[in-house]
Amino acid sequence: MTVLRLEGLTKTFQRGANVVDAIDLSISAGEFFTLLGPSGCGKSTTLRMIAGFEEPTSGRILFGDRDVTYDPPNRRGIGFVFQSYALFPHLSVARNVAFGLEVRKVPRSELNDRVSSALKEVQLTGLDSMRVDQLSGGQQQRVALARALVIRPKLLLLDEPLSNLDAKLREETRAALRSLHSTTKVTTIYVTHDQSEAMSMSDRIAVLNAGRIHQVGTPDEIYERPATKFVAQFIGHTNLLEATVSTVSERSVVVALADGTELTVPLDRRAADVILKPGERVGVCVRAESLQFTDDSNSISGVLGDVEYTGPVRSCVVKTALGDIEVEVPSSATARPVKGETVKLKLSGSAVHLVKVS
Amino acid sequence: MSIWRKRITTGAVFVFLGLVLWGYVVGPMVATFRESVSNPEGGLTEYVRFFDFGRSAQGESMLGSLVISFLSVITAGLAGVFLAVLLQRWEFPLRRVCQVLVLVPIALPPLMGVEAFVLLYGIGGTFPQILGQLFNTSPTTFALNGFAGVLLVHTLTMYPYFYLSVSAALSQSDDALEEAAYSLGASRVQTWTRVILPMLTPAIVAGALLTFMSSMASYTAPLLFGVDKVMTSQIVIAKTNGDLRFASVVSVMLAIISVVFLILLQTYEQRTIYRTQSKGGARKRQQITRPAAKAVTFAIAAASTVFVILPIAMIFILAFSVNGSWRTSPLPSQYTTQNFLNMFKDPKSWEAIINSLQMSAIAVVGTIVLGVISAYAIGRKRFRGRTVIDIAMMLPWALPGTVVAINLITAFATPSAFSFGKVLVGTFSIVPLAYFVRFSPLVFRSTAAALAQLDPGIEEAARSLGATWWYSFRRVVLPLLYRGIAAGALLAFVNSVGEFVATILIYTPRYRPLSIAINDELYLANYGTAASFGVLQVLLVVIVLIITRRLEHQNSWQKAS
Repeated sequence: MTVLRLEGLTKTFQRGANVVDAIDLSISAGEFFTLLGPSGCGKSTTLRMIAGFEEPTSGRILFGDRDVTYDPPNRRGIGFVFQSYALFPHLSVARNVAFGLEVRKVPRSELNDRVSSALKEVQLTGLDSMRVDQLSGGQQQRVALARALVIRPKLLLLDEPLSNLDAKLREETRAALRSLHSTTKVTTIYVTHDQSEAMSMSDRIAVLNAGRIHQVGTPDEIYERPATKFVAQFIGHTNLLEATVSTVSERSVVVALADGTELTVPLDRRAADVILKPGERVGVCVRAESLQFTDDSNSISGVLGDVEYTGPVRSCVVKTALGDIEVEVPSSATARPVKGETVKLKLSGSAVHLVKVS
Repeated sequence: MSIWRKRITTGAVFVFLGLVLWGYVVGPMVATFRESVSNPEGGLTEYVRFFDFGRSAQGESMLGSLVISFLSVITAGLAGVFLAVLLQRWEFPLRRVCQVLVLVPIALPPLMGVEAFVLLYGIGGTFPQILGQLFNTSPTTFALNGFAGVLLVHTLTMYPYFYLSVSAALSQSDDALEEAAYSLGASRVQTWTRVILPMLTPAIVAGALLTFMSSMASYTAPLLFGVDKVMTSQIVIAKTNGDLRFASVVSVMLAIISVVFLILLQTYEQRTIYRTQSKGGARKRQQITRPAAKAVTFAIAAASTVFVILPIAMIFILAFSVNGSWRTSPLPSQYTTQNFLNMFKDPKSWEAIINSLQMSAIAVVGTIVLGVISAYAIGRKRFRGRTVIDIAMMLPWALPGTVVAINLITAFATPSAFSFGKVLVGTFSIVPLAYFVRFSPLVFRSTAAALAQLDPGIEEAARSLGATWWYSFRRVVLPLLYRGIAAGALLAFVNSVGEFVATILIYTPRYRPLSIAINDELYLANYGTAASFGVLQVLLVVIVLIITRRLEHQNSWQKAS
């Protein structure tokens, strides 16, 4: 069942380009959906239009069958968690959580029950009468979450809720959010610029850049089969090599890299808009972790540049005729890469993905 | 559809603000301009005479105002920067006490405060008498009069503009910056000239612009020290002689100069505000260890402090003196508490106090309504003409009281829609109207400042939780802003109670406010009575300052969240 539908949603600020450019999206009940993109890509503006804080320049927003495009935020029944948390500094923790219920004139006894169960859900029991500025960042974040959830929203909107937390707390909260979602089943739209957050939490992700959606898909699809050059480069560590299509067969396509190396790529390893015609230029995406060092003769040779140890993997830069190529090898590998060494890289056609270059 | 309702409400607010500002601020300015060119022969040529320094009344008064203002900037600047550096950078005995006392001039009441200077340093004043007796000559040899007296008053009342901005800049500056300069090989002198002073420049420029504007607007000091070749005095003299046209000409010119300085101040503040990026802790002060240096520093600080608080001390002494008991001695010879009792017993005194309180209270209610609505509209809404409203709101703050008074006189000498078809000149209501116009910017500014600190997300959070705009305004925005509003309103109230410059031009003898009562008592040389009123004003300022301080301290949670 579709809970939210965006139709040609567009936002233009004064004298500028479209911040959000004709976005179409539909989100089903119970989904954990993420808008992912670099800062300024329009993801927050989209979320704020869904909440009703901004008016779209054109397009429609539908909650189920109801057109809410120009409804004020207080008539939308959404829960919103702000990056700054936006807790009411003059109210206690419990009064903050109770705010939405007081507005709805929920009877006192029910209100108290719902507030304490909401606080229990986010593990803040016993902090009811504390002032919000006495809480840690993580606790404030959870008050914001409880305040948004206690009104039983049709839609929970989260605007970079973890960006003010330190790294360890962020991972804990990530897990907590995920489990909260599986118990409440509330349809959630999550905005972030952090791809690992998006990957680990979402059912589906929409990748945005410059106001446009580049791809909508599950985390696997986004990672394995990027639809555009932008998605390929934004997610994970990806090398983009230029190539020319040589021959096309029923099952596969042969592309030639700039140095003449030929690769046979299965036809399904390509974005939908890639034109397969001999002589056509295409982009070959190679994930850093899918490359291996080899002794094979049919390979790309280069000289090892800087090697960075990051714990689980060593990240190396190999200077080749095709340019600098990033390679990640497991730290457990027996051969230890050393700067200045001459190495050969094995490139497998079944591990690459073709995208349109321009 | 709700989108239309929203636009209509925003439009209605905009129209309301536009009407109020046009009716009481901009419109009256236009009326004054019309009056100034009403002479069929003169017209705009009246304005050309301003640049005929020394020969026309216009040119002479403009030159006088400009010269006094430039000199005031220099003397007040030297005093303010000196005190700021002394008290912020060095540690010596009683530093904290001095730090509090140098701000005392802020509590100096407008009219009685200036009179205190006259009674201390002017003809027949305390110091000329002491020095005269000491050197066995006529006291008048040492008396300050005219120009020098005005300059002294300006210096000692306006140095806080420099002191406050420079000490704020000094206390915010990061030790690490200086240490960085030293570590890069800069000497002490180089560190000061290349790092510290450039960082203080914005504070000094802001102080200079404020001082210049205040000096141009100053009327009481020239009045009491007998200087009439300044623009404000010319306006009042012309108005008193019934020459409203000439008063208007000078008013318009003075308004233009003030507005230019307002624009300079605002653009400058927007362009250069240095903020240290680092968090930093409390600044370390330089400890003075050598006993001789310690004694000298202490002596300098103590002397400056005493000098600065003398006028207020003088008001307190005079308030207990018997009227007419002061002739040829440094201080009055007889003392009493009768002045304070008379305040309540004498119906004329009591009436003046009540009049002032009433007029100020009415004005403050108006300033709150206008200040809060305009601050909220400008801070939170996007509409065309927003900048225009912003400028118009701050305009009366830049205009000298004399000019505001002339504007209201020219606008409301005839019935107008904004006075509901009545003539306001010569009535009770024009006085609170003048206070309202003059002091609305105070509420506007402090509300806008409080609003700027408020995360817009807080209001959005309330809306997303189902609150209507009005509910979230009442239950979230107002409780979070009320401290800022209260601080501004209290300031507006104190300023209204002390207001003299505009009042003298527009009051009607039937409703005599406090500042006019003081002026009348001074005219009769009843220094005791006048000073007891002054003490009342000082106490009011002190109470308000204490309350405001309290409010600011409670405010800290706003920043924490």
